[in-house]
Formats: sequence, C-alpha cells, structure tokens
Amino acid sequence: MAEQSQQTPSAVAGPLLHLGCQSCGARLVLEPALRTTRCPYCAAPAVVERPPVPGVPEPVFALGFALTHMAAKAQVARWLRSRSRFTRSGIRSAAPGEVRGVYVPAYLYSVLAQARYRASIGENYQETETYTTTENGKTVTRTRTVTRTEWRPLEGELSSYVADVLVTASKGLDNAELEALEPFDLRGLARYTPALISGWLAEEPSLTLAQCEALARKEAVERVSGLLSRFMPGDSHRGLEHESRLDWEALDVCLLPVWVLAVKYAKDAPPLRVLVNGQTGAVHGKAPISPWKVLAAVVALLVVLAVGWLFMGGGR
Amino acid sequence: MSAEAVRVAPCQRCDCALEAEDLRCPICGLTAPPPPRAAVERARARVVRCDSCGAAVEYSVEAKAPRCDYCGSVTHVETTADPVEQAQHWLPFTVDTEAARGALMGFLGRGGFFRPSGLAQEASLESLRPVWWPAWMFDAGVDVSWTADSNAGSRRSDWAPHAGRTRFDFQGIPVPASRGLKVKECEALAPHYQRGSGQDTPRGPEGAHIERFEATRSGARRTVLGAVERLARERLQQGVIPGSRFRNVHVAVALSSLRTQRLALPVFVLAYRYRDKPYRVLVHGQDANVVLGEAPISPLRVAAVILAALLVLVGMLYGARVL
Repeated sequence: MAEQSQQTPSAVAGPLLHLGCQSCGARLVLEPALRTTRCPYCAAPAVVERPPVPGVPEPVFALGFALTHMAAKAQVARWLRSRSRFTRSGIRSAAPGEVRGVYVPAYLYSVLAQARYRASIGENYQETETYTTTENGKTVTRTRTVTRTEWRPLEGELSSYVADVLVTASKGLDNAELEALEPFDLRGLARYTPALISGWLAEEPSLTLAQCEALARKEAVERVSGLLSRFMPGDSHRGLEHESRLDWEALDVCLLPVWVLAVKYAKDAPPLRVLVNGQTGAVHGKAPISPWKVLAAVVALLVVLAVGWLFMGGGR
Repeated sequence: MSAEAVRVAPCQRCDCALEAEDLRCPICGLTAPPPPRAAVERARARVVRCDSCGAAVEYSVEAKAPRCDYCGSVTHVETTADPVEQAQHWLPFTVDTEAARGALMGFLGRGGFFRPSGLAQEASLESLRPVWWPAWMFDAGVDVSWTADSNAGSRRSDWAPHAGRTRFDFQGIPVPASRGLKVKECEALAPHYQRGSGQDTPRGPEGAHIERFEATRSGARRTVLGAVERLARERLQQGVIPGSRFRNVHVAVALSSLRTQRLALPVFVLAYRYRDKPYRVLVHGQDANVVLGEAPISPLRVAAVILAALLVLVGMLYGARVL
C-alpha cells in the first residue's frame, strides 16, 4: 500500500469525499483527485459527479483503451528484454508486475498561430577559381569549380492552425512522459461520457489551468518553429528567429488511456515505473544503468587497449 | 434525406462547414459545441447502468466501448464518425443516348489527317454506358503564407529568396474522386457542367451506373486539402511570386469557410472497336460538344508524311549542293 500511495501523489487540495454507493448504500471514502471508485462491499463501479469547480474544467473527450492488459504486459516484457546490457542486473529478466489502467487527464489545445520571422537564406552558386599547385616539381596554374553561398536576408509572416497539441494535466505523469507516449490516434476520440471510464481508474486534472496553458503555448510555439525551419527557401538557412502571436486559443480536457506497471527487479531497489500507451502500445520507462557494469566495461576496454599498446610497442 | 436536413452551424473559429457527427473542426481543431448537460448540484458516486438490464456497465477493452457484462449490450459512444462518402447532388443528363452516339460519330469523322479514312464507317460501337462519376466541389477562402526562390532580384546566385502572404478565394473548384476516369479526363470534363443544376435524386437514362465514392470522410478532407495546397502553389506562380522561374515553393494555408459538396457528374463512356482494337471515348453528359478519347492513327498516312518530309529534305540538300 505504501508503494501505491507513492505512485499516485494525492496533490489535489480538499478533504476526502464521503459518498454513498448507489448500489448497496455503503459509505465510500475517496480521494478528491480521483474521478472513479469501486465500492469495496458490492464491487459496483461508480463515476464521481460533482458540482463544477472554478478552474477545473469537466472532461470533454476521452480516448478509450484499445490494448488489453495482457497485451500491455506482453509489450512491457518485450521492452524489458530489449534493454541495454548496461542496465542494472535483473531488469532484462524481470517479470512485469501489477498492471493498472489509468485515464490520465490532459489538455487538447488548438490555436491560430501568426508568426513573424527573420532569417538569412543561403543561395548557392558556382564559381571558377584559379589556383596554383605543384605537379612533378613544377608550379602550374589550374582552374576548378567551387560552390559558394550567398546570404540574403528574408522576412515574412506565417499563419497556420496548430491543432492536436496534447499536454498533461496530471501531476502524476509529467509532460516529458506524455510526449514519450505520444502520438495518440485522435481519430479515435470520443465525447466524454461517464460510461467510458466506468470500472477504470480516472484522475481529475491536478495541474492548474494556467500551468497547462503555459505548457501548451510552449509546445505550439515549438511546433511553429519546426514548421518554419521546413518552410525556409534556399539551399540552407541560418539565424532563424520568430515571434508568434497565438490567437483563438481553445483547450479542452481529454482523458488518455495509460497502462501503469511497476516492475520489481531487485529486492533493495524501488520498483521501476513503466508506462504503456493504452491505444498504440508504445512503452516508456527509464531503466536505471548499473554504474558497476559501465565501470567494468570501461576497465575491460582499457585493459584491451593497454595490452594492444604493449604488443605494438614490443613489436617495434 | 432526413440526415441531410440536419443543419450544423459552421465552426466558430474558421467558419468551415461541420458535419452533424463532427466532434471537432477538421480544419482548425476547435471543439464543436457539446450538447448541454444537466448541472450537477452535489457530489455523488454515480453507477452507470445498462439501458437494457439495469446492471452496472464498465468500459471493455475487447469491445472498445462500455459493455454490460450481464446482457452483453454495448452502450453507444459518440465518436468521430468517418463514414464512406455519399453523393449529395446529382447533375442530370441533358444529352441523351442518341446524341451521345452522334457525338462519337462526329468525333470519329472529324478525325484529322492522320485518322484512317473510313474510320467512322468501319468502327463498331461496342458499348455505351451512362455513368455518374463522383467529385467534390469546394468553395474556400485561403490565407496563404508562402516562401520561394525565384530569379527576380538575384545577384551572384541564380536564385533570390522571397516571402509573402496573400489571400485566395476559391469558388467551385472540382476535385475528382473517380477511379474509373483519369485525372486529366476529369479536369477536362469538369468545367463544362452547369453549376446549380444539382438535384437530390439521380435522373437520367435507364440503367445509368453510379460510381461510388470510395473515400471516407477523412480521406475526402485530405484530398480536398491537398487540392487547395496544389492550387495555391499554382496560382502563386502565376503572378504573385515575382520572377519567371521558381523553386522551393512552400505554402502554409489557413482555410476559412470551407464548404464542400459531394457531386455525381454525368458522362457517357463509349467503347468502339476498329480493326480488332478497342478504343474508349467519353462524351460529356451535359454538353455533347465535349468529346474526349482516343482514336486510331493510320500507319500508312504517318509513313507517307515522313517519306514526304524526307524527300523534301533530300531535295533541299541536293539543291544546296548543286548551287
């Protein structure tokens, strides 16, 4: 139990909720960060509905799980086997443990980006130049064709919609982890209805709207700069700068399917957290590297080099 | 037709047309306004019940939908629908079968010098099929940002970079969706249709074949967006980008008020045989003067022309030597 509470940080402020089970009438006590629960007495799955809280929007979309928990486990087992030899011993042979399906809240953001950019565009041209060289002991003059680049300044505007930006709204799963699990196939998007998450673990957004907006804007501007670097004419470009104005922002809560696994690989180490995209099966985790193995490899390499050097030195 | 009658307000951000099932705008990604939901007054733990048996429903990965474990019924969930496209408007045939046959004869008779003589008499008509071919027709306003290299203002290099932003209004641009016709044929046929003559039901000769749209809605949108980009690129090179030679033409488009119609356009597909070889000819379904197709070339006449040209050449060379 202690491990579990470490994995799901209960960061949402507010007291525990006391609700009645609709099936058997028992009292349910649950954390405010959760959107679903299961009655411990009658096992009835329930979805929490509560009055709107300012700054915490209701989910608009949900992506349903498409990968069964057996398939998720198999993906993780394959992922563990394919880790590098330098990971800590036990990881490559560890068996995936308990699997939990969680609907992680995220914001789906779209915007009309208007960017002004400046860059130096390189246009290549060919030139013949003469040079002197020595051939058979004589100095001779020769010509050759060289490619040179002429740099021309360019300024302009770009306006484009940036849609499908996903940023995390959960403190339990940071944005880098979400990016590692992306892409999600948003064609499978469904309008949120409680039935979609019934019987599964679902979190409430635990990051504030302002934090998520900042993340989303950053990602949108990054996308614009990626777009711009592909947009530049010429043979090459440098010094690309841009400032983007973001108009018509829209963001909605979308629940994303993620399988969370704890892999226990050693008695003394905390379990390794592995995430699986519940739709596509993409696996993300940080397998710790064993410093001893790396050290041993470096030492072995040095020994080989030293022996080689001695051998070469002896041969001379 | 009742599904067509449901009018959906266009997207609030880009004013593009939405379909009834769209959860988000396919162009700009803005969420379509959700149906109003009853406000919750106090917190409660709601058990989602099965509509048929009343048992608790849970989301099932196998069914990819909420499913009742007791009776197995699956709850419908609103998703982004992606149905196969269906024609909305059928343009009527105004050319009848006889006129189409006459148009073929006229086409074969016109011929030109290289056609074998007596083609119109010897060719035997094998089949004449009226067909409705599918196409999309769109109107859109496009905010195009572009960059390109052109020869205008170039210095040492042949190329100089240019950038700009312009607005195009596209009206009634056809995008063929037919697999049976070639893109070139579709492009030649499309401008001769009478816009606005669309009807809700197919009307034409008996046994007319209706070629189905094979694309789904998302595929259709991709095709239309591809056509917008291609067209924008073409128009930019006709006077917008300075210069006369271009390379690296990049465009970024922000569409507004995109409206797409799905049309079925009439055409006659004729096949005739001349000396055991089949040939295909298309006769426009609304304008019998538009005939596209292939016709045999007389090898004798071609040989005669080449021979004549050679003779003239030899004669000239000879003449030059004598002089």
